[in-house]
Amino acid sequence: MNALSAFTVWAQKNRWIWAAIGVLLLWLVLSVVTNRFSLSSLSGIVLSASFLTVVGIGQMFVVTTGRGNIDLSVASVITLSAFVALLTIKGQDANLAIGVTAAVLLGLAVGLLNSLLVVGLGIPAIIATLATGYVLATATLLSNKAIPGFAVSPALKDLATGRISGVPIMAIIAILGVAAASFVLRYTVFGQLLSAVGQNRAAARLAAISNGRVIAAAFIISSVLASLDGLLLGAYIGGAFLEMGQPYLLQSIAAVVLGGTLIFGGSATALGTLWASILLILIVTTMQIIGLPPGAQDIVQGIVVIFVLALAGRQALARPTTAEPADGATPKTRAKAAASLPE
Amino acid sequence: MSHLAVADKKRAAAMAPAASIRQEIVSLSQITKSFGPTLANAEIDLAVSAGEIIGLVGGNGAGKSTLMRILCGTMRPTLGSISFAGQTLSFADYDTAEAQGRGIRMVHQELSLCANLSVAENFFLETPQDATSRPGWRKLYLGRARAALDAVFPGNGIDVDADVGQLSIAERQMVEIARAAATPGVRLIVLDEPTSSLDLDRSRQLRAFIRERAKAGLAFIFISHKLQEIIDIAAQVVVLRNGRTAWRGDVADTSFSKLVQLMGGDANSIHQHGAIVASTGGALVRLSGSLTSELGRDIEIARGEIVGLAGLEGSGQKELLHAIFKPNPAKDAAVTRTGEAGFIAGDRQKEGVFPLWSVLGNISIGSLARRPSLGLVSDRHNREAAADAAGRLRLDENRFGSNILELSGGNQQKALVARALVADTPIILLDDPTRGVDIATKQDFYRLCNDIARGGRTLVWHTTEDAELLACDRVLIFAGGRIVKELTGEAITEAAIVGASFVQQADKRIDAAQAKAGAAGLVRRLVNAAPFIGLAAVLAVMISANPAVASIFGLDLLLMPALSLVLVTAAQMFIVGGSEIDLGVGAFAGLISVLSATLLYDRPWLGALAVLAAVAVYAGLGGLIQARKIPAIVVTLGASFIWVGLGYALQPTPGGASPEWLTALFGWSLDFLPTSIILIAAVALVVLTIDRLPLGVVLRGFGNNPTAMIRSGWSPTRYALVRYLIAGLFAAAAGLSLTAINTASDINSGNSFTLLSVAAVVMGGCSLLGGIVSPVGAIAGAVTLSLIGALLGTLNVSSDFNAATQGLILIALLTLRGLTADRRSEQ
Repeated sequence: MNALSAFTVWAQKNRWIWAAIGVLLLWLVLSVVTNRFSLSSLSGIVLSASFLTVVGIGQMFVVTTGRGNIDLSVASVITLSAFVALLTIKGQDANLAIGVTAAVLLGLAVGLLNSLLVVGLGIPAIIATLATGYVLATATLLSNKAIPGFAVSPALKDLATGRISGVPIMAIIAILGVAAASFVLRYTVFGQLLSAVGQNRAAARLAAISNGRVIAAAFIISSVLASLDGLLLGAYIGGAFLEMGQPYLLQSIAAVVLGGTLIFGGSATALGTLWASILLILIVTTMQIIGLPPGAQDIVQGIVVIFVLALAGRQALARPTTAEPADGATPKTRAKAAASLPE
Repeated sequence: MSHLAVADKKRAAAMAPAASIRQEIVSLSQITKSFGPTLANAEIDLAVSAGEIIGLVGGNGAGKSTLMRILCGTMRPTLGSISFAGQTLSFADYDTAEAQGRGIRMVHQELSLCANLSVAENFFLETPQDATSRPGWRKLYLGRARAALDAVFPGNGIDVDADVGQLSIAERQMVEIARAAATPGVRLIVLDEPTSSLDLDRSRQLRAFIRERAKAGLAFIFISHKLQEIIDIAAQVVVLRNGRTAWRGDVADTSFSKLVQLMGGDANSIHQHGAIVASTGGALVRLSGSLTSELGRDIEIARGEIVGLAGLEGSGQKELLHAIFKPNPAKDAAVTRTGEAGFIAGDRQKEGVFPLWSVLGNISIGSLARRPSLGLVSDRHNREAAADAAGRLRLDENRFGSNILELSGGNQQKALVARALVADTPIILLDDPTRGVDIATKQDFYRLCNDIARGGRTLVWHTTEDAELLACDRVLIFAGGRIVKELTGEAITEAAIVGASFVQQADKRIDAAQAKAGAAGLVRRLVNAAPFIGLAAVLAVMISANPAVASIFGLDLLLMPALSLVLVTAAQMFIVGGSEIDLGVGAFAGLISVLSATLLYDRPWLGALAVLAAVAVYAGLGGLIQARKIPAIVVTLGASFIWVGLGYALQPTPGGASPEWLTALFGWSLDFLPTSIILIAAVALVVLTIDRLPLGVVLRGFGNNPTAMIRSGWSPTRYALVRYLIAGLFAAAAGLSLTAINTASDINSGNSFTLLSVAAVVMGGCSLLGGIVSPVGAIAGAVTLSLIGALLGTLNVSSDFNAATQGLILIALLTLRGLTADRRSEQ
């Protein structure tokens, strides 16, 4: 009993554990039921999940800035980046540096554009990034007409598909990314400022934090990660196709929320994003093994997202509150949250 | 203390017969409310009789709010009972609606009006039962609002047809009070800090009104930190302390100092800051230009000074604080500062605390903002720095690990001061820091300010409590956005401050504000006309390229496809009116289209059932979003996958056929007008009608201020369902129109409508923040946007550019709107 309550307290601060438990349970069930799951099949899933993790981490930074901020342009960035890689690298290792530079520049450019719209012009993030996505869609259509062919540089291909003693290189990249993100969130000034901005923007401003810079940084991180992800994903699938980034839009948001990052901002967990990415890919893989049609897969993914959010919504409501709220003005935010409580 | 308790009992015994003569309205007995280990209320008895005026006082955390929430039905006690005229009622059956039904109304400290609605419409929200759905229903409420306002505040000059957002804070407070007082059948009004934004005259009018109505039998509970007011107005005073009744008695038996003592404070209020510290190291802040034009000289604020900002609420004090904190070179050329400034906010919840963090996190953030972004954070270092500040504040270090919200208001305020101390800025700005803080903590606070100033820092202190200004070395008095008087040392008296505050007329500021609003209004009107101008321009270009477009057939060919987008836009507009965005509405229209071309065609009854079920699920989604407080954007994005998935499952490739009746529904024609124009106009009329009905007012109210709506007794979940139901019906109509116009269905046919509908809604002049909708503009926007594809075709531009054009139009529009937006609405 005591251990259980100790675990509950611990789990409240380490919300990634739920996604990890989910992965473990689903994997165990699948191993027992189908007899086809092994460590090596799990490593395949982890490889696919790595691509989701990278874009998910970027999304996590944006979500943590609060106010329902979400980067809806990641899908278009992934697709466009894969096409740009084909255009710049042309299947030659010699052009790799140019390709990586181009991907980073693309990410920076889109991130800056998003920040300009959101921070500079005050357009809600959802609308701004949606609009950016549409502009990128036209750019993708144009580059689709310009690509010389689908050749992928061998070195990049090795990076995206290779393994070191059985472990996918891509997974190592993703785990290093998660470690770096965790460190930034927990031990750097930026991580603390990000959390502060996500919790209470007015208070952050009055604590002399430049909210705009912090939010812009989050959008730039998101776009650059999505762009690099697109470069690697293109190498992994051996080319590029229109709409290839599309599944990552909903999945990246789902991975962030499922992992335990608060959708209302202010608190993020990179480890949770990693575990949730694996869990999501595991679910999709399971559906493919069972042989569900693509339409049904869409439905299941949609339901998972709504279901998890419905649960997460409760979590946010259970935020600690004062025993006796101050006699002073009730906060608008808390009043809004309280408003949803049954009378 | 014990002798007081005994006296209390004696008095209560003596008073019992007197009270029973009057008719009792409500009686709370033995109310106990616990939150975990904390007792917010412990065995409190409170009876209110007709015509009684009860002053309720107590420090922070004394339990006033909890008790009033229980009385008004927004909270249930752990133990205790409530009775009306001797009849006991179970708390299980007692809620806000029941309390209102029994004539209990509360005027909250944080105002509960919908700023986007007119004064009269806000009156409607409180007493909706008298409204009808006939045109002209507003007239009743216009008259009622006028009469109610004039009864309480004679000569108020408030336009009851104006939006509440246009009123000053004081005027809003007046509306709020008048609204509660005018409610038919009201028997008890609870006023929580009603005079916090009223000036002296209005406060007197209010008190006169309360006395008059009390004679007529209306009862009042008056909560205020301003004890003088309590003594002036109340007949009975109830003092709460630590959740218990510390004293209840006749106002004649008490005094200011006695009340302070009962509440646990120090009766010797504020001590003077002593002699002015000689300026060391020159001025830290310099005020000049228009700000000081009335004084005729610049003002310099030196190290070691405490400078108070006084004047009527909203005369420019807050603006000056913010200007010093972050000078805006364009606007605040009159303010210059040397040295960094820290800020201590009085509105802790909104501008102060970080609710997810511990006390330590909340303190340490003060020193982080000025460090390089990639610098490392060390807990140990933070703790040392914070411990030093906390020690000076008498804030217990053992509480560093607790969540900030677990602290009382006073202790939260100490943590915020500690934050400013670890930031170590030479200038500290205070924005009404003692608001809602109990007297004992206030005393600590004044002492601390003295210490800080003596330590060589400058304090600029805005307060709404004039008595606090006595702790300052210097007081700057504001009127109409300018400094009109400077008081120093001995000259600082409450009388002098009040006198100077009222000298200046506030007309100048209003004139300036109106001139500014006039110029901005012109630009705004231009932006608002954008959809109509755009529509005219697009049509003009197309007709000049091909005159046949101007024929009835040509217009129909062009505008018929716009109908679907118009319907989706109508759906989106209702969602946006609730300050949400639906990213699945286009996919939903696509699903309905697939349903109508497959099931509805093959098996009409089953098909109709499926369409209705889909709309019901869509509405249910709205209920879910509201009930679980989850972001609509992500839910609807998730839902779009479900809609598309269902569509694929039903119809993997485009096809199907339109039922005959459906084709006929959209296919009739008149000779003199294009069918498409008639249909679009009909949609506009339906949307406009819904918006003007009482239902539309309620929906807009929820979009603006859901808390206020709930307080007036409206159910948020029910109206979220209604909102999504209306949207779902419009989206379903859009789906049907897609099938009828294309005579087949494709699950992806609606996808492009999602962004376009948001663009159209925004283009039409609706606010994404919710509550402000403009049906005709949105529909004009939708028609314009749907013509873009045809326009690009006319201009021989590749269809690859379609998406980019629409995206850029959206960005351009939002940019324009953002630049011309009313600054107030950004809050």
